[in-house]
Amino acid sequence: MNGSNAARGKQAVLYGILVLVLLWTLVPIFWMVLSSFKSSADLLSTTPKVIFTPSLEHYIALFATSNLWGYIQNSLLAAGISTVIAVVLGCLAGYGLSRSDFRGKHHVAFWIISTRMAPIAAVILPLFILFRYAGLLDTTAGLVIAYLTFNLPFAIWIMNAFFADLPPALEQAAMVDGATKFQAFWRVALPVTAPGIVTTAILCLVFSWNDYAFAVTFAGPDSQTLPIAAAQLNTQTGLNWGQLSAIGTIVVLPMMVVGLAVRRYLVAGLTLGAVKE
Amino acid sequence: MWRQFEGTTLNFISENTAPTVAIAANLDKFMELTGIQVNILQLELGALVQKAALDIGSGEGSYQVLYADPYQILAPYHEAMADLNAFDGDENLPSIDRGIGDFIPTQLAAAGRFENEERLIGLPYDCPTMIWMYRKDLFEKYGDRMSQDLGFDPTPTDNSTWEQYYRIADWFNENVDEIPYGTGHQARQYDSLMCDFSNILWSYGGDYFDNETVGTLGTVDPGPCVLDSPEALEAAAFYKKLLGIAHPGSTAWDWNALDEAFRAEQVAMAPNWHEFAAGDEAPESAIRGKVGYARLPRGPVKSTSMWGGTGLSINGESPIREQKAAWLFLVWATSPETMLMGLKSEVGGGTPTRGSLYELPEVKKAMEPPSDLPNMLTYDAVSKAWDPENIGLRPKIPSWNECDTAIYTEVSRMLVGDKSPEQAMQTAKRYFDEAQSRVKTLASGPATSGRA
Amino acid sequence: MAATPAAENQSRRQPKNGGPRISLEMKMLLPVLFLLALLSLFPFLYIIFMSFNTVSMIGGISFDFAGLDNWTRMFTDEVVGAAWLRGILYFLATVGLELVLGIGMALLVHELVWGKNLALSLLLLPMFMAPVIVGLLGRFLTDGTYGLYAWFLNTTGVFQQDILGTPSSALLAVILMDVWEWTPLIMLIVLAGLSSVDQATLEAAKVDGAGYWQRLRHVVVPAVSGIVVVALLIRSMDAIRYFDVIFITTNGGPGNATKIIPIRLYETAFRFFDLGYAAAIGLGMLAFSILVANAFVAILKRRGLAR
Repeated sequence: MNGSNAARGKQAVLYGILVLVLLWTLVPIFWMVLSSFKSSADLLSTTPKVIFTPSLEHYIALFATSNLWGYIQNSLLAAGISTVIAVVLGCLAGYGLSRSDFRGKHHVAFWIISTRMAPIAAVILPLFILFRYAGLLDTTAGLVIAYLTFNLPFAIWIMNAFFADLPPALEQAAMVDGATKFQAFWRVALPVTAPGIVTTAILCLVFSWNDYAFAVTFAGPDSQTLPIAAAQLNTQTGLNWGQLSAIGTIVVLPMMVVGLAVRRYLVAGLTLGAVKE
Repeated sequence: MWRQFEGTTLNFISENTAPTVAIAANLDKFMELTGIQVNILQLELGALVQKAALDIGSGEGSYQVLYADPYQILAPYHEAMADLNAFDGDENLPSIDRGIGDFIPTQLAAAGRFENEERLIGLPYDCPTMIWMYRKDLFEKYGDRMSQDLGFDPTPTDNSTWEQYYRIADWFNENVDEIPYGTGHQARQYDSLMCDFSNILWSYGGDYFDNETVGTLGTVDPGPCVLDSPEALEAAAFYKKLLGIAHPGSTAWDWNALDEAFRAEQVAMAPNWHEFAAGDEAPESAIRGKVGYARLPRGPVKSTSMWGGTGLSINGESPIREQKAAWLFLVWATSPETMLMGLKSEVGGGTPTRGSLYELPEVKKAMEPPSDLPNMLTYDAVSKAWDPENIGLRPKIPSWNECDTAIYTEVSRMLVGDKSPEQAMQTAKRYFDEAQSRVKTLASGPATSGRA
Repeated sequence: MAATPAAENQSRRQPKNGGPRISLEMKMLLPVLFLLALLSLFPFLYIIFMSFNTVSMIGGISFDFAGLDNWTRMFTDEVVGAAWLRGILYFLATVGLELVLGIGMALLVHELVWGKNLALSLLLLPMFMAPVIVGLLGRFLTDGTYGLYAWFLNTTGVFQQDILGTPSSALLAVILMDVWEWTPLIMLIVLAGLSSVDQATLEAAKVDGAGYWQRLRHVVVPAVSGIVVVALLIRSMDAIRYFDVIFITTNGGPGNATKIIPIRLYETAFRFFDLGYAAAIGLGMLAFSILVANAFVAILKRRGLAR
């Protein structure tokens, strides 16, 4: 029938475009992962090699000569803790802001998000001084707080937007049924905005995980993160592409796992949200 | 004497260079000797400069041992560096093995002092120097034809000129298929371009400033910039001509990328840092045994080779006790044994900054192929380069970073066709002079007396 | 469901202890705002102070009052001016491309019947790589000697020159690297918006015979335009400040082709140690971001979507 032919034709075109888009996105990553298993000679050959004898030398070298586990842990800790704090506080403040009504409310909202626009190189010095007096230099706690400077405003602002989109009717219904305001927040508003919370958390995690500028400034030998480890491979006598590919692969892998795990939840949550009306 | 600071922890911040890698691999020896724990933080240079500046400027002093790049850290912050003569002369502390005279004099001045002969603020730690690397196998193969066509013997000697270098490179471009280009350069818009250009600038008799000690001791006020002199303009014009026939990737290459291209047989010759010899002669290198090393060619005036070494300094902002512990580390790290170990190390390969080490039989033996210590194959080339007349020392002034940025930006624009050599040099001179007048204020902050 | 008077009274009821009437919302909001202020006001005021001084870090941080010197210098500095122009060009190119491609990708994934989850997870990957690593990977792929892309472009004859060594292609290359990394961000946010478009209206439109593009124009676009502006705003904030990719690939070259304003800021602060001037430049960048954000918020408000 015409209808299903057209539908199948459309799907074919869609998947064709999808393949192109996937190529654009994945070829660099695929190449990087592939390269991490090549010997140094194969890596630098002038004609790209797709067939080669794999070698684990870069991974071994990475784990042997550098404190890679430490870096991974530091990155996870700093990014993870900062994300959790930002999301929790962001939900609280975002809800409070969206449900309150006072003059200058949108000015406050704008101020909140403007704190995230700080030009990095310029704020490093005052933040450094602040951290120094608080004894937070070279600590993971310091990094967590440094990341909060951009995660917190982001979380507040996004959750504010999500809560603002939520009609108060649902919470009011709950309160009619005897819930306190906080319970209305906790049991009604929060679950419905779950997709927004997950999106916010993912983004906060990404921004923290990827940070280089703050890590260089505030982290010390004990609290160094993965991006620093990667940049370190740019030595005076050579850029160790092999180890760099390996680090890149290590960086992308947990995110891929997290992404896969949370993805189903998020898509389900998104479509669930669509049906709420 | 060595164990008096047992239990202390030191923080050493360094660029990720060969000697530091070797030392990091052998830290347990220092621990055994002194009971001092050393944490090494290796960063790439820009990040290192930023962290060191914050640490010194804020008075934090948490990094007691500094890899003090003479131009980016030592010159601006010379006042904050501890005077090492005090430690060397202290009878309760170990003194420099074989005395201070064992360090190569030009390197000691460049890495260890600023403006003032009396104060010693660093001990020379590494000494990469630019030399002429070339595929001697290709020179042998085509030598006769080249001599015929060019009218001179292309084999690099002390008398080879840049003009000849140009013609050799051009000849390779035209006549040799197995290698795409005759010459490659580290002409990325970065320090590397400044280094590559400076060699030619000096060889033509040009310079950044008309000041005798600006490169060795350095100074706060070098006088006006002389990049608009006829010699400098001639040098710039030649450099543009040379890069015109060089491998097009040159404008994107720093020294690492250049070496990769050289090893991948993309260029027949390259002016690069001598310490790359270790990698070029490594077992897995495609060009091992095929590389010749010579001093850089002469210009109309002389032959100069850019020196890129650094010294270790002690942070004057740290508590005095930690400074003394740091002194122990400095003495150990620059000792003949440690330097020899670094030279021989598998992970390292940096060449020593001490003259006496080059006299050792095993080191001398390594100067001829086949060699256990491939960096020594370059000794003939670099040793002459370290003489006061030949060494290429860039200006050691507090405003150097700005001037450096100015020169490599303008030369880069010249190379990509944006500007003529005259325009580039004039603009650079303008920025140099502007930076000088402005930075004088930044450099003369309140004098530090060194925290106790 | 209309709010009943009883519920409304409950929400305005006085707390039992008869203390000051701080609503729950305020209790949730104020402490967090306080923390935020702590983290952001001090640096902000400090930078303003720095911009009116010559700041030195030698022997302790010292300030030397310089009045408007840094500011007049900034407005007459041709290097900074050029960096701004390039910065804005870079900004428009990256955000523009990311917007178009991000919306396109979101629409694509949204319409997929099979493998939606998988496609989404894969397409999000670039976002999870640190810009530093993306830059290094970009260098690895475009290097003339062993780069995969360079080899491909060279052997197919499309582009024979050195990618990062030629000014025009270098700028294009770093723009594409940024687009590669951040398009997934736009896609993610727009997809969230697409998923909450009112299904009922869409169905009604289909029943009325509206084709795909008509439904897109008349139902979907109005519904998600708010979200799209949010995505734009989030990306724009960072597009003007991030410089890791350019820093690690071309460092502003060749011939200054890729020297955008955040790179100049970093140089001024941490290579030249001219912190007072850097503060002025930084404030200029902040002003730009605020202007752009204001524009976006105005658009949101016009559509009644900003609260």
